[in-house]
Amino acid sequence: MGRGQRFGAFLSALVAFAVGVTVMLSLLLGDNPALFGNQPGSDELARRLALPADALLRLVAIFLALSIVIGIANLLFVHVSRLKSGKFYSAVLLASFGFTVFWYVTRQGDTSLLEAVQLPIESALAALLFVSLVHGGSRVMSKRGDLWGLLFVAVVVLVLLGSLPLAELAPLQAWSDWLMRIPVSAGARAMLLGIALGIVTAGLRALLGQDRSYRG
Amino acid sequence: MNEEFNWLEYSESVEETATEAEESSGRRGFRRFLPDRPKLPGLPGWAGLPRRPRLSRPRIPGLPGLPRLPRLGRGRGASESAQPSASDLLGGQANRPVEELDDRLRALRERSGVSAAPDPAPNQSLFDVDEVLVSPAFQRKPGGVISAVALSKAQQQQVEMLKDIVGGPLQSQAGNGGRLPRPASVFSLSAAPRLLGTALLVLMASLPFVSSDFAEGELPPADFHDDRHSATSFYNLLDNISGDDYVLVAFEYGPAAAGELDLLAELLLRHIFAQRARPLIVSSNPIAVVHARNIIRDINRSIPDADARLTADKDYYVLRYLPGGALGIRELSENFADVARVSARGQRTGLDFISLQDLKLAVLITENSEDLRHWAEQVLPKGRNLALLVATGYAAQPLAQVYADSLEKVFGPVYGIRDAYTYGEKLQANFSGLLPSPPKQALAVEPEPAPDALADGAASDIAPAPQVEPSREAESTTLALVATLPATATSQPTATTAPTDTPAPTATNTATPTATEATLLAVEITAPQRVNLRRRPTTVDDILALGYPGDLYEVLGANGDGSWYQIALSNGLDAWVAAFLVEERQVTASELAGGQANASASPQRERAVMRLGFNFRLGKNQPRYYQALTPETGDRPELALLRDRSLEIPRLQAMTLGTLAAVLVIVIGNLLVALRALLRRRSSSA
Repeated sequence: MGRGQRFGAFLSALVAFAVGVTVMLSLLLGDNPALFGNQPGSDELARRLALPADALLRLVAIFLALSIVIGIANLLFVHVSRLKSGKFYSAVLLASFGFTVFWYVTRQGDTSLLEAVQLPIESALAALLFVSLVHGGSRVMSKRGDLWGLLFVAVVVLVLLGSLPLAELAPLQAWSDWLMRIPVSAGARAMLLGIALGIVTAGLRALLGQDRSYRG
Repeated sequence: MNEEFNWLEYSESVEETATEAEESSGRRGFRRFLPDRPKLPGLPGWAGLPRRPRLSRPRIPGLPGLPRLPRLGRGRGASESAQPSASDLLGGQANRPVEELDDRLRALRERSGVSAAPDPAPNQSLFDVDEVLVSPAFQRKPGGVISAVALSKAQQQQVEMLKDIVGGPLQSQAGNGGRLPRPASVFSLSAAPRLLGTALLVLMASLPFVSSDFAEGELPPADFHDDRHSATSFYNLLDNISGDDYVLVAFEYGPAAAGELDLLAELLLRHIFAQRARPLIVSSNPIAVVHARNIIRDINRSIPDADARLTADKDYYVLRYLPGGALGIRELSENFADVARVSARGQRTGLDFISLQDLKLAVLITENSEDLRHWAEQVLPKGRNLALLVATGYAAQPLAQVYADSLEKVFGPVYGIRDAYTYGEKLQANFSGLLPSPPKQALAVEPEPAPDALADGAASDIAPAPQVEPSREAESTTLALVATLPATATSQPTATTAPTDTPAPTATNTATPTATEATLLAVEITAPQRVNLRRRPTTVDDILALGYPGDLYEVLGANGDGSWYQIALSNGLDAWVAAFLVEERQVTASELAGGQANASASPQRERAVMRLGFNFRLGKNQPRYYQALTPETGDRPELALLRDRSLEIPRLQAMTLGTLAAVLVIVIGNLLVALRALLRRRSSSA
C-alpha cells in the first residue's frame, strides 16, 4: 500500500469516526432536554444539539434515494454490455424496462402493470417458497436423524395442526397456542435482544475503524 | 492468472520460510509462523497454563439424560456432541447410495470423473476438487509446502471423506466439454416423492376453488375472541376516529406479501374512509407506495357515483417515499411536517402539521418484523399521543405480539387472511345497519297478511310503511353481503310465531300510532350485558350483530325446542338469539321501530362506551379493551363494505386443505426416511 493510499484510508476512517461520534452525541443529547436539568432554555439547547444529527441523517437519506437512480443506471449498463455478448435474458430485461417506461409515460401514470405482472409473479414465488419449505420439512430426518430432528418435526406438525380450524383438532389448538405464546414469544424476545446487541457491536466496530465498508 | 502462478516456486519459498522459522523458534507446524508469545515477568507463559477442558454435554443433576435415538442415515463419524460436526454430515452423505445424494453433491461426484482424466487446463473450475486440494506439485514434493500448511488430522479426514463422496468411479463425462451434467429429470424415480408431494399440495389447495364439496374447516369468527383484547382494541380505536382526524397508514409490504395482506389493507382503508377520516399513506418501500395508490383506485372504482369518489390530496394523501429504510422512518419521526408537505407525485399536499404529536393513530401494515421494530422504536416515542395499530403477516406475528404485550401504545396484531375475514365481518356488522334497508322481497318472501286482518279493516288504519329507496351502491353492497350468507340464513318464519300483520319496521318512523294498531311479537333483551346475535341457532356460529339490554327485535320464528328465537335485525337480515337472554313482548310496530331506534342510544350502551382520551395510563395487566362507539350518521357506510367477497371463503378453505396436505407430506416423508435408514442398517448388519 502506497503512502497516498494509506493517507486516504486514514482520512476516510477519521471522517467516518468523526461523523459517527457527532451523530451519536447529537442524538444522545438532542433528544434529552432532561439531561440539562430542565433549566430555562434547555429545550432550545437540546434542539440545537440535535441539528447536526438531523442534517447528516437527511444527507444520508438523500444519498440513498440517489443510489436507487444509480442502481437502475448500473443495471441498464450491465445488461447492455451483456447484450453485446448475446445474452437472451438481458434482452428480455431491457425490453421489459423499455415497455414499462413507455406504458407509464403514454398512459399518464397508469401503474396497472404492477398489479397485472409483478404482483402475480412475486405472489407465485412466495407460494413456491411454501412448497420448498414443506419439501424441506419432509426431509428433516434424513439430514438430522436424532432426537432434536424428531422434536423439530413434532413441533412443526403440532403447530400446523393446531392452526387448522377443524373441530376435531381442538385439543391440539391449546398446545399450539401455548407453543406460540410461550416458547415462540421467548424466542422473539431473545431475537430482539440479540439484534440490539448486534447493532451496538456493529456500531462500535464501525466507530473504532474495524469495519471499513466505506472503503469499498 | 492461475496459469501464470508457479506452484513449485511458491512451495519452495514457503518451505524455506518454514524451515527458518522452525530453526529460530524450535516450534513445529503452523505455529512456527506465529510471533513469540508475550511473557509477563513473574508469570508463567501460556504454555504453563492449564488447558481448557473439553466441554461435555451439560447435565442437570438429578435428571436422567435425554434418551439417545439411533442416528438415522449415519454409518460412521457420528459425533458424541449434540451439534453435528462437518464430518458427521459428510459421513452421513458418504454412507449413502449415490442416487440418494443431493443433486449438487451428485454433480460434484460426476464432475470428479472428468478430473480423473488428464485435463489440459488444470485449476480452471472450482468443482475440480482433486486438483485444487492435491495438486501435482504437492504430491511430487512430500514434506514441502504440505507440511508447512499442514491440515489437522480431523481436516485430513474430512478431505478424505469429501474425496470419497466426489471421487467415485462414475462414467466419464469428458465428452461434454467439462460442463456440469444435466440434473436428473423431474420424472425420474428419485424425484418421484418430491413430485408427488408437490402435486398433493397443489391439488389440495386448488380443490376449494373448483368445487364447494371440499369446503373443509370452520370459518373464522365474526368477532375477535375474548382473549384477543388487543385486536379488539385495534378495531375499536379505528372505529373511534372522526371525520376531522388524520390517520397515518404505513404500507410496509411488497408485492410478495400482497396475497396475504391486500385484503386486510383494503379493509383498514375502507374503515378509515367510512369514518370520513383521512389516511396519510407513507412507506419506505417505493413499490408499496404505488401499490397503495392502486388499492385506493380499486376502492374508488367500487363507488358508482363519480361525484362521491375519493379525491387524492383531499380525502386521502399518499405521501412521498421514505428512502433509506430505517433512516427514512427516522426522518418521518423527526421531520414529519416536511414529509407531509409533499405527495408521492412530488406535488404539495397543503398539509400543515407541526409534528407527529398532531396525530392520534398510526396503522402499520407490514410483512416483516424489522419494519415493526423501526416503527415501534423510532416513530412511537415521537408521537406523544400516538397509538400504533399493527397489522402483519403470519411471519411477523410472534414479534408483533411481543410488542403488543409489552408496549401499552401498541395494539394488535391483526394478522393474516383469517383475521382479515373477521375484520370484514365486524365491519359489516357495524356498518350495514346504517345502510338504508333494501326492499324486503330481495331478502325473503314476505308472509301473506292474515285474511281476517284485511277483512275487518284493521289494516286500512295502518299507514303503509314509507318505502325507502336505497341508493344504488347501498343496494349493491347489501345484496353482496346477503349473497355471502348461507341459504339457511334467510329461512322462513315458522307458522307458530309468524307475525300476523304486514308493516315492516323501518328506521324512519312516520306512521302515527293509533288505537287500532296491531301488535307484533317481539323480544326484549333482558340480559345484563350485551348479547350475541348469531347467524344460526348455535353458540359456535358467526356473530352477525350485538344486542344490548333493552333492545327490541321482531320475532320471525323459533327453533324446535324454543331455546332460540329467530329475529329481524334493523338492516333487513335475520339472526338468532338465545331464549334465556330475552323476554317475549307484544309491541306495536311503532314501539318496535322506536325500540330499535333507541337501541343505538340506549343508556346501557352509553355507559359501556369508554371514551378514549389517549392517555394510556392503564395498568400493565389491565386489558386494554375499548368499547366501540356507534357509527355516526355522517359516516359513509357504503365504503366500509366489500363488494365482492366471493373468493374469501374458498381462500380460507384452501389454506386449511393446503396446511393439511403439508402436514401429510412432512409426516410421510420423514417416516419414509426413517424406515429406509432402519432397513439399510438392518441389511448392513446382516
